[in-house]
Amino acid sequence: MRHRLIQWLGIAWTIIFALLIVWLYTTAPRNLQELRTQASATVGAYQIDQARFDAALELFRREQYGAARAEWQRADPAERDARTQFYIAYAFYREGWGRVYNDEELFKRGLDAVKRANGLTPDAPLKIDDADLRLHTAAELQAELEAGLAQGWGALNPLAVLRRERK
Amino acid sequence: MNDQRVTNHALARYLLLPTIFLTVALAGGLRIDAATRAFVFLPPPLVTLVLATLLLLLFVRGRLLELHEWFNSALPPRTLIAHALTVGALCCASAQAFNAVLPEAGLLRWLFAFFFLWTLWQNQFSTFDARRLLRSLVALFGTAFALKHLLLAALYAPEGNWLRRLAGTLVEGLTQGTLGQAESYAPATGYIAFATLALYVGGLAMLAFAPTETDTTTERAQTIVNDYQQLAPAERALVRAEIMADEPLQLATTDSEVDEETPVG
Repeated sequence: MRHRLIQWLGIAWTIIFALLIVWLYTTAPRNLQELRTQASATVGAYQIDQARFDAALELFRREQYGAARAEWQRADPAERDARTQFYIAYAFYREGWGRVYNDEELFKRGLDAVKRANGLTPDAPLKIDDADLRLHTAAELQAELEAGLAQGWGALNPLAVLRRERK
Repeated sequence: MNDQRVTNHALARYLLLPTIFLTVALAGGLRIDAATRAFVFLPPPLVTLVLATLLLLLFVRGRLLELHEWFNSALPPRTLIAHALTVGALCCASAQAFNAVLPEAGLLRWLFAFFFLWTLWQNQFSTFDARRLLRSLVALFGTAFALKHLLLAALYAPEGNWLRRLAGTLVEGLTQGTLGQAESYAPATGYIAFATLALYVGGLAMLAFAPTETDTTTERAQTIVNDYQQLAPAERALVRAEIMADEPLQLATTDSEVDEETPVG
């Protein structure tokens, strides 16, 4: 009886340990803090740090985009919250936008963030109700970032400078 | 076997061995970045899977892993599942043990992989027993560990003295960068690799010397007789000579005891 129990325990333990190793190699946490965050995200207990999120929003409204992004990244270290990722993308967009030309690097990083936000809400389009923003959906923001990155003859038109406006 | 021995055997085979091998599988690919002290998890590259497969074949040939005993059709399904999981863990541990001692990139990585392949392939055709195989593996992994984590790490250490750095730069320059400078991993990586290999060898030793469920004297004797019968006449003569050389006194005593007991007709 005890022998059988040990065998079952061994089977269960081996499977659990093997799954844990696969999970560790898949998520590849860089330190123990990240390990804890990834673990809570996996079991569905993950929540963003709301205080940090609000502080970042305040910075965003004061146009301190770099600081806002840093704070949002601390609020959502596992990059699992679509709303936070949307705001990070928006911060990249606003900081990278220029009347004559856009900062390509910032736009690319913004595009990555908005794609991440889209990926986190596969069932329904992501919509953010914020009166301070002119683009309310992730799809709009993605289109804007992609248009900003597109290189074409239209970019040479001097009148385009007058038509451009930051959203 | 008595109850306590059965329990200990079961604990060792079904809990301890998989735990040891899975720990090796976990730690074999773990590195610590020198600059950020961040964990870096390196999954086993394809070449280590090939090496692990060859090593498993060697385990079977060297009878470190008795397949007919582990996967005997007379065993209950749960035992077979437990054994399959342990063998799977052993396979993963072997791949990761190679991962721990292979250089990360460049010409040296391929040189190491080639020598491992060559050694394992050659060994497929050698006569092995479990003890000899274990000794051979300790030497193989020990050498690779010393080369990678002591020699190469010292050559490329960023905090090394100017002579060491010069030697590293010269080697890289002479080989046009193809030698493969070691990634800048913290010294902790070497300690982790050492512990991993020690654990792996410990697990293999447990596998080799742990009592088996069918470890009764009669069955062991029967196995030896069966093996003996598989040998060619010349090899049988050699075995007999070895036994006689080892135990002539004991056999002579037994013979005299038999003579004393036999009534003279």
